[in-house]
Amino acid sequence: MNFNGLSIEQAPPISAPLRFYLTAPLFAIIAGFLILFSDTTVLMSRYSIDSIIITHALTIGFLSFIMLGSLSQMLPVLAGVVIPKVDVVTKASHGLLVLGTVFMLLGLSYDNSLFNTISILGLGTGFLIIIGVISIAIAKVQNFTATVKAMATSLFFVFFIVLMGLFLLYSYIDDSYAYLRPLIANIHSVWAIFGFGGILIIGVSFQVLPMFYVAPKFKQFCKKKVVLLISIGLFMWLGLNLFYDSYSLVAKAWIALFFWAFATTVWKKLSARRRPISDTTVWYWRSSSIFLTLGSFLWIFDEYFKNEYIVMVAILIGGGFIMSIMIGMLYKVIPFLVWFHLNGMGYMNIPTINEMINKKLAKTQFILFIASLIGFIFAFYYPMLLKISAISFILSMIILEYNIIAPVLIYRKTKKTKPDFDMNAFTTF
Amino acid sequence: MSTIKEYLTEDHQRCDHLFAAMEEKAGTSLQGAKEAYTEFVNETERHYQMEERVMFAEFEAKTGMTQGPTAMMRHEHVQMRQLMKQMGEALEANNKDKFFGLSETLMMLLQQHNMKEEQMLYTMAQQHLSAESDRIVAMMESMIVE
Repeated sequence: MNFNGLSIEQAPPISAPLRFYLTAPLFAIIAGFLILFSDTTVLMSRYSIDSIIITHALTIGFLSFIMLGSLSQMLPVLAGVVIPKVDVVTKASHGLLVLGTVFMLLGLSYDNSLFNTISILGLGTGFLIIIGVISIAIAKVQNFTATVKAMATSLFFVFFIVLMGLFLLYSYIDDSYAYLRPLIANIHSVWAIFGFGGILIIGVSFQVLPMFYVAPKFKQFCKKKVVLLISIGLFMWLGLNLFYDSYSLVAKAWIALFFWAFATTVWKKLSARRRPISDTTVWYWRSSSIFLTLGSFLWIFDEYFKNEYIVMVAILIGGGFIMSIMIGMLYKVIPFLVWFHLNGMGYMNIPTINEMINKKLAKTQFILFIASLIGFIFAFYYPMLLKISAISFILSMIILEYNIIAPVLIYRKTKKTKPDFDMNAFTTF
Repeated sequence: MSTIKEYLTEDHQRCDHLFAAMEEKAGTSLQGAKEAYTEFVNETERHYQMEERVMFAEFEAKTGMTQGPTAMMRHEHVQMRQLMKQMGEALEANNKDKFFGLSETLMMLLQQHNMKEEQMLYTMAQQHLSAESDRIVAMMESMIVE
């Protein structure tokens, strides 16, 4: 068994996850401005180029950055393995992904083949390097818990999502493949939301909810079967979608049912938690549970309305469920990382976790973010809501960026000023 | 009898519940939370000593690894004892913000510590010490806190 994950020297350097976390809100701010200068009618179509650009600024630039940053940080703790050469891997992968995402946004906006080619190279190598290295680390895990299994499953899906994404981007360079776009894009997006984002969140919540909130544990059935059943649903949906599309509703209902059950379980577990504290992270869990429930049902009903509501489903599930949980967890993880690394270096007199992020600012960020999501949904009926919602979204992301930078500045300042470096901390054992 | 892993994992949960009870009391009044704080600290200290004086010692003797994972876990125990001490000071000073800031920090540290133990160290200990499992659990149960 490998014990490297137990040691602070072997733990990923704090810069590995922070690099991803600090970049993520910047892409969300870009997405916000793109929405601000877009037209509601254009955004109502999932296949309009504007929708695709905005979606990927958020899904690649925001969501995948946070997920990859978190995976590089959490693997030693949750799975007991270290990512080989984590510093080099995260640096290279982060740089390539930033390059790839920026050029994707530019390439699609200006229909520029050179930009799209650079993007394919950046995103392809950036994703495959980090997915490959994390997979190698997971292969060494000895104690395969439900959380680790979910992580491995989500990595399986993300591998195919990336390949499909690269193909889709290539279809903008070589038009002869354009006819395949709707079919591949549909699989790409459903697997990305449920297979990557959804399964990863479910797996991590098995650990996080009982531990951080002292909530009741998930039942063995949930831990052992749900990820498998959702995966079966995703493959069933793929088969039906390709060959018997008129029956794909059955698989959609199957997948949606489990996600709705998960949303309900999260709500119930939070209500039964032993820790009484109710902070922004708890609100984010609550709101994500509501949005996921609404999104799951709308996804099924959307089938009867010729996909008229699919963008609304994406807002509810992508924004309301996945983004909400990601932001909530950032508020827990970043202050802790700063504290943990500083304390591990021997600094004893440092701010507590609660003092690193201003609670009022976190609350304001939450309100602006949720208000923007609700605004985006109602903008389908009242287009004038789009601009004000976009502004609310941009503000919420600027505040989020500030809330991430604040603890990082505390970290840098403490390291620079060395207030009470105490070597005795290391001689007590 | 429980295995080493089961016994110590259950004890983590017992301490978590005491922690939650302490926070609940402290939410109403810090002064009224003193008893719950003392119970949590005593039971957590008992858990640490069961590990440090019994399980870790047996593990180190068996494997010869004294500077490995147990050393890191001992170091985290020191960090957590420090936080619990500061929480006691905040309690005495009736400083609610400080108390909850420290308790949140302790909770995060405690949980990632527990995850690492349950995920790696206990599993490893169970493998190396399986023949002596009953004896070690009995020793931990009957240990008197110093």
